[in-house]
Amino acid sequence: MKASLFAGMGYSERHKFPFTWPVPPAYSDPEVSVRSYQEGMDECALAEDVGFDWISFSEHHYSGRIPTGTPAVMAAAVAERCKRITIAVLGHLLPLNNPIRVAEELALLDNLTNGRLVAGFLRGTPNEDQVYSVNPAEGRGRLLESMDLILKALTEPQPFSWEGRYYQYRTVAVWPRPVQQPFPPVIVGTRSDDTIRYAAENRLGLGVSFLSVEETAVITDKYHKWCEEAGWTPGPDNIVYRGSIYVAETDELANEWFEGLMKSKPGPNIPMRRTVAEAIQSARTGGPFDLRGLVAGSPEGDVVGNALGINFLGGPDTVAKQIREFHDRCGIGVIDMPFQQNKVDHKAVMEELELFGREVIPQIREF
Amino acid sequence: MVFTEGTVDAAGFSVRYWEAGQGRPVIMLDQTGWRNTMLHDALAEKYHIFSLELPGMGDSAVNSTSQTVGDLATVAAAAATTLTSEKYTLIGSSFGANVALCQAIQSPHQVEALILVSPMAILPQESKANASSQEAHSMMFAHEENAQKFNPLSAEVFAKETEFMARLSAVGHDALVEAKLGDIHCPTLAIFGKNDRLVSSESARVYREKIPNNNIAIVYDAGHCIVGDRPEALVNSVIDYAEHWETFIVGHKTGVINP
Repeated sequence: MKASLFAGMGYSERHKFPFTWPVPPAYSDPEVSVRSYQEGMDECALAEDVGFDWISFSEHHYSGRIPTGTPAVMAAAVAERCKRITIAVLGHLLPLNNPIRVAEELALLDNLTNGRLVAGFLRGTPNEDQVYSVNPAEGRGRLLESMDLILKALTEPQPFSWEGRYYQYRTVAVWPRPVQQPFPPVIVGTRSDDTIRYAAENRLGLGVSFLSVEETAVITDKYHKWCEEAGWTPGPDNIVYRGSIYVAETDELANEWFEGLMKSKPGPNIPMRRTVAEAIQSARTGGPFDLRGLVAGSPEGDVVGNALGINFLGGPDTVAKQIREFHDRCGIGVIDMPFQQNKVDHKAVMEELELFGREVIPQIREF
Repeated sequence: MVFTEGTVDAAGFSVRYWEAGQGRPVIMLDQTGWRNTMLHDALAEKYHIFSLELPGMGDSAVNSTSQTVGDLATVAAAAATTLTSEKYTLIGSSFGANVALCQAIQSPHQVEALILVSPMAILPQESKANASSQEAHSMMFAHEENAQKFNPLSAEVFAKETEFMARLSAVGHDALVEAKLGDIHCPTLAIFGKNDRLVSSESARVYREKIPNNNIAIVYDAGHCIVGDRPEALVNSVIDYAEHWETFIVGHKTGVINP
C-alpha cells in the first residue's frame, strides 16, 4: 500500500479565519502567505524524504485553508523540489474549468515531471459551483463531457473539432503529448453511480474521500463489479482513499489533542449561508427552493455545514490498523492524507510526517 | 419545410430525389431512413438542396447494374449535373458518404465542398453477422430512446441493401479509396459520433492526415446516426462548414453579456 501527502498548502494563520466561505481576501497577509507556501513545500520535501509515495494537490477556491485554486501551478513548483515522488493532481474541478486548458496543464505537468503525474477528475463540493458562476444544475453533465473531451484531447494525434453539449471547440491540438501513453493514470473522485460506472468502463481509477470504511466499501464494491463487467481488474494504484489524519506518539496523546479540538468547537469546514447552501443543493438536484422559507440574510451569519471529522486518529500502530481496514475491506491501494488540521501548525505537521514515515509507512508497505 | 419529389435520368437510371430551398446547390446522399430530418430543414433554409435516393437503396428497385461504389458515384454525379449547372456542396451520410467520397474523387470540378457524416470507408467495425434490421438499427444510436424516434428499415429493404452493399464490396475497409484521399482537394469536413459503434471515431484522423484541406469534427454523446442522437450539434457544424468551409474554425459568437 502507498502513502500520499495531501498538500493543503494552508495559510499558517488559518485558525484566525472567520466561519465564512468565501474567506475575505483581506485576511491574506502577503508576508504570511509567502511563508505559508514555503512551509507547505518544506512539508512536501520532508514527505518525499521519509518515504511517502505520492504528493497530491487539490483545486479549492476562495479560502486560505487549501489555497490552491490552480493546483497545476502548485504541483509544478513542488515537482521542481521533489524530484522522485509521484505528483498527483487530485484534482481539477472539471465543471469549473475549460477542459482543453486542463488537458494542456496535465500534458505539460507530465512532461515537466517526466511521467510522474497522476491526474484526478472531480465535480467539486457545492460551494465551488459559485466559483466562475457555473450553474449547479449543469455540473454533472459538464463533468461527464469534460472527462470525454480531456481524454480525447490527450490522445488524438490530429487536430479536431469538438461538438459537445457544453463545450464547442473548432480546433483542438494539445501540445505536448503526455509522456505516459496513452495518457497519465486518472483517478475519478466520486460517490455517484454514473461516474463510478464511467471510471470502470473507461478503465480509470477511483477516488473516495472522507467517508467511513462501510460507506467507502459500498462505492468500491460497485466499482469492482463494474470493472469486472468491463473486462478488467483494477490494480492497487487505481483506488485512492483520502482521509484526514492526526497521528501522535501514543493513542493517549492523539486522543488528548482530539478532545482539545472538540472543546474549541471547530466551525464548519465549508461554512455557507443556509440560503446559499440550500439554493445550490436545490439546483444540483432539481428540487424545490423557496427563499422565503429560510432565514435569509441573517446578520449573525447563519452558516451551515459540518466540521470535518478525523478519519485516522491515534498512535502509529492504531493508525496503521485503521488504514489497513480500508485496504482489506475496500481494496484501497493509496491512502491520501491531509496532515494540516485546523489546530496543527507547521512545526507539528513536520513532526507528524517524521513519525508517520518512521512508524506507519513501514507497516502499510506490507499490506 | 416542404420538399418536392422528382426523378432525374442519370447514367441509365431513373433517380428519385427530393428538392427544397433556394440558393447555392447542395447535393445530399443520405443513408436510407435519415431523410426529412432537422438537418434537411436547416439546410433548405439557406440552400437549394437535392436529396438523392441512390439506385438500389431505399424504395428504389433492385440495382443489378452497378458493380462498385464508384459506379454509384458516377450515377450520383450525372444526376447532380442534370439537376444543377453550378458547382455544389456534396453531403453524404454513412454509406452515402462512401459514395460521396468516390464522387469527389471522380468529379473534382463539380464538387465545391465535401461534408462526410459518419463515413464508413475507413476502418469500420466488424458488423454482427446475420443481424436483423432492428438490431442494426439499434446499433446506429448512442441511446435507445433516440433509436425509437426513427423507424428501422423494413425487412425487405434491409435485406436488399445488405445484399447490394455486399455485392459492391462496400462492407469493410476500402483501401482503394484510402489511397486516393489525397486526390480530394476541395474543402472537406468529416464528422463522427464519439460513440459510433459501426465505425470508430478514431478513423477520423485518417481523413485529416490524407485529405489536404480537411477538418474533422467529433460529436459528443452521439452514435453513428448523429442526426438522431445530437441533431442540433450536427446542424450547427454542417451549416457552419457549408457556409465558411475551413474557416468555420474562426469563432464569431459574441462573448459580451451586458454591453
